[in-house]
Amino acid sequence: MSLNHHLSALRFHIQSTPATFSPRLGTVTLCRLAEDISIDLQTPGLITSTSRGVVPHLSSDHVRVSDAVRWIHVPFESFLELSPPLPTLHPGPYPSHACLGLRPNRHVLTMSLRDPADDRDMPPNGNDFVSALCLRGVRKVTPNEWRDYTLSAQPDVLVALSDVPLTSGPHSQKRITKSIERSASWLANLLRPLPGRHVSAGAASHLLNVLVHMAGGIAPKARQAFSRSLLEPLFDKEAEAIRPLNNLDQGVAGYTFDLAPLRKSLSPDAPRPAPTGGLGAGIDPFSVPPAPSVTAQIISLIRTSLEPLPATKPRVVHSAGSPHEILALIRDIGIDLFDAHWAQRAADVGVALDFVFPAPADISGPAPREIGHNFYDERYSHDFSPFADALRSCTADQLDERPPCTCMACAPSRPSEPLKHSRVDEAPPLHAPVPYTRAYVHHLLHTHEMSAHTLLALHNLAVLDTFFAGVRRVLSERPAALSQEIRQFEQTYDGKLGVLAEAKKAWTEVNLARGKGRLAREREREKQRQRQDTLGTAVELN
Amino acid sequence: MQFEVLATCHTTRARASRMKLAHGVTPLPTFMPVATQAAIKGLTPQQVEGLGVTLILNNTYHLNLRPGIKVLLEAGGAHKFQGWNHNLLTVCDSGGFQLVSLNKFTTITEEGALFSSPFTGEPTMLTPEESISIQHAIGADIIMQLDDVVSSLTVGPRVGDAMRRSIRWLDRCIAFHEKSGKSDIQNLFAIVQGGLDSVLRDECLNEMTKRHDQVAGYAIGGLSGGEEKDIFWRMIGQCTEKLPTDKPRYSMGIGFAEDLLVCVALGVDMADCVFPTRTARFGVALTFNGPLNLKLAKHAKDAKPIDSTCPCPTCSDGVSRATLHHIATHETVAAHAITLHNLAFQAQVMGQARDSIMGGTFPKYLRRFFADYFGNAGYPEWCVNALQSVGVDLLEGNPHAKVVKGDGVKWEYSDAA
Repeated sequence: MSLNHHLSALRFHIQSTPATFSPRLGTVTLCRLAEDISIDLQTPGLITSTSRGVVPHLSSDHVRVSDAVRWIHVPFESFLELSPPLPTLHPGPYPSHACLGLRPNRHVLTMSLRDPADDRDMPPNGNDFVSALCLRGVRKVTPNEWRDYTLSAQPDVLVALSDVPLTSGPHSQKRITKSIERSASWLANLLRPLPGRHVSAGAASHLLNVLVHMAGGIAPKARQAFSRSLLEPLFDKEAEAIRPLNNLDQGVAGYTFDLAPLRKSLSPDAPRPAPTGGLGAGIDPFSVPPAPSVTAQIISLIRTSLEPLPATKPRVVHSAGSPHEILALIRDIGIDLFDAHWAQRAADVGVALDFVFPAPADISGPAPREIGHNFYDERYSHDFSPFADALRSCTADQLDERPPCTCMACAPSRPSEPLKHSRVDEAPPLHAPVPYTRAYVHHLLHTHEMSAHTLLALHNLAVLDTFFAGVRRVLSERPAALSQEIRQFEQTYDGKLGVLAEAKKAWTEVNLARGKGRLAREREREKQRQRQDTLGTAVELN
Repeated sequence: MQFEVLATCHTTRARASRMKLAHGVTPLPTFMPVATQAAIKGLTPQQVEGLGVTLILNNTYHLNLRPGIKVLLEAGGAHKFQGWNHNLLTVCDSGGFQLVSLNKFTTITEEGALFSSPFTGEPTMLTPEESISIQHAIGADIIMQLDDVVSSLTVGPRVGDAMRRSIRWLDRCIAFHEKSGKSDIQNLFAIVQGGLDSVLRDECLNEMTKRHDQVAGYAIGGLSGGEEKDIFWRMIGQCTEKLPTDKPRYSMGIGFAEDLLVCVALGVDMADCVFPTRTARFGVALTFNGPLNLKLAKHAKDAKPIDSTCPCPTCSDGVSRATLHHIATHETVAAHAITLHNLAFQAQVMGQARDSIMGGTFPKYLRRFFADYFGNAGYPEWCVNALQSVGVDLLEGNPHAKVVKGDGVKWEYSDAA
């Protein structure tokens, strides 16, 4: 057990004193007490998602220069393949930062056991373990193991184990009761004081920044019961264990909500792709975009959870599915942080996001417009404009009033100093940066070049970051106009996200066609398509 | 092109030079990373530039198929299309083995290469004139003649025919290129053919060196296709011995560090290969002590970077071998991170060659490099022989060093833990 735990305190400051459910402007500050470093992040804002511990498609040098990537969420489960797990191996301070190429003075790192976006069917959890998934199969992780892992891995913020039933539903009342009891008791276990550390009066009673996932599934009563259990004073042995805390909520730095399992329970009939690896697949968010009715139900469930709790702690949502859903969650609840999972997934399938908040007033072309471009589409093959219309690239006129896109694709910056390998190397001539074009990415996608996804991931994260900055500006300058601006946004941009479904299909086609003989296969498919067109039928390729 | 030899090794035939092209200066000898389809796989041009790379390759055949010449012309050339502001070389359609390996229906006629179009299936003729015209549209700083390349394992009259046809095609390429008015910006290289037959190679060298004033440089083609290493180096040596010293020499398809340094010692200035970038995608990192196969379990708990002295972003950010093991072949990031490292490694191998040639210590550098790289596994015999032919004894001061037969390529196997 590591005793040189580096102290980082998570603070949250809300400007103005809002009601329990109103949009709010805030600042999350992570103070690294030993180094006198503090990282300020404005909310509402974004959290970057990772896969196997890394931001998909972004090598460490790209993560470092990306302004949008400041708060990173790392699911721990992939590391269970190795014992002891990778983030616990690195020597020195901030082992998780070190092993993932992140910088303690720039990046806030949150860790949860499971990937919050993964809603695939799983074997059941037990009274004393959560079933987690890694490449080598399902692993049982006990609350004690989770505590030990996180004490060694030292993420800045960690999510307590939560019993989210991912067996195929519906879930009985007994199962839901178990779920909230286990989640509360696992949280209590995590909040025990650190070993070898005296708790002096007045000092922080526990040294971990713990987020709690709000349990109870889609049963409002259960959600309510769970929230209340956080506030109940504890007695006897239970109280002794978490001393000097009086109740669990005192040890909690914020609340998280995983929408993927909620959506799965709320839409039992949603189509799911074929199971892979023996597990039932989750809902594909691109073929089933977040329906406003489902979002409304989710909002009501989240409000039930938050109702009794203090409004002063940050609220985190994982796997919101669209900017529309994000706006609704900000407006109707006052959610502070959202992961960028859907925007990063859009980069995976070749979509460059193109939207701003507030939506531009002068709309040309048919409304509502798509929230992005499917660069697989032939229409981009000769399009040499920058990725986005709603944002300006680095070569745009300075009088251009569109917000700038500062991503490495729209405003590529030269490497500060290219490496030199010999005394006769000469510094390369200077060139003004030129944004990457749609035609280039179209080409990269069709030739299955990975760089396409790097550029798109950098871009999409920046677009989402700029979107949140726009939300914050409205909240700060004219808060009363937020609802009107959201309505305007909903009218301007299509919430059905057709572009994502279309791109996913194109991505699948290119992926299936690749390899030797690919051009011949494409030719054959083109012929088939023509034949089908004449018959007036079209077969969906998935 | 301005080409200036800055220094010549006192012992070997190695030289350090300065090659100035329309998009800047590239110091030689150099290794050229391959961006077959207008992208170094996984990297952005800014990342490649940051590694100190000033010259990359595109493939004419691939760019002609995708995105197509029309798109490239609209973009204003391949440099602008891919956002690469530095020097660019296009290997021609049949350069290396594209026509050999990609299309089994290719037939070579005197007119050009006849193949079935991958789009329509129609028979399509690619003539030397057309190949140059396409490369003009691409706009690369260095362009390659269309040659008739046969696999280096081919024997019989076909090898001589192909060599002689390559000479005739060179003349047609030169004529077309000179007429185009682009010869002051784009530089045409001839490709020496002749298979593994030293008589044919000589014939080709004699003819092509006669065109000295009409070409900007010479490539050595038709090698690196599975022939024995002992023949390979002799062919390279035969070519560099006869090629004029005032033009750059480019050995096509060479990428292993030991091959590069042997070629440099024999007088080669430029080389390209997909090896460092391709092997990166399978999780293999190149180091001065030999390749590391990061997929192997022995790296799973290693918190060290690939090479703590390496200046690449992956190593200087401290990304550990264990982390790379965790993501290699699962996440594209692993390919990006190891590709960055491997290209920096290739650039360092060649940069140190330049420095030591300039400083008059190239033979010493060779001995040190081979001792670090092969010291425990054994020196490949062909490297020992090749370097001996230019006056460097790798075994100097170490007469009992292990020498291994065969190609001697170093690889990290799972049982080597």
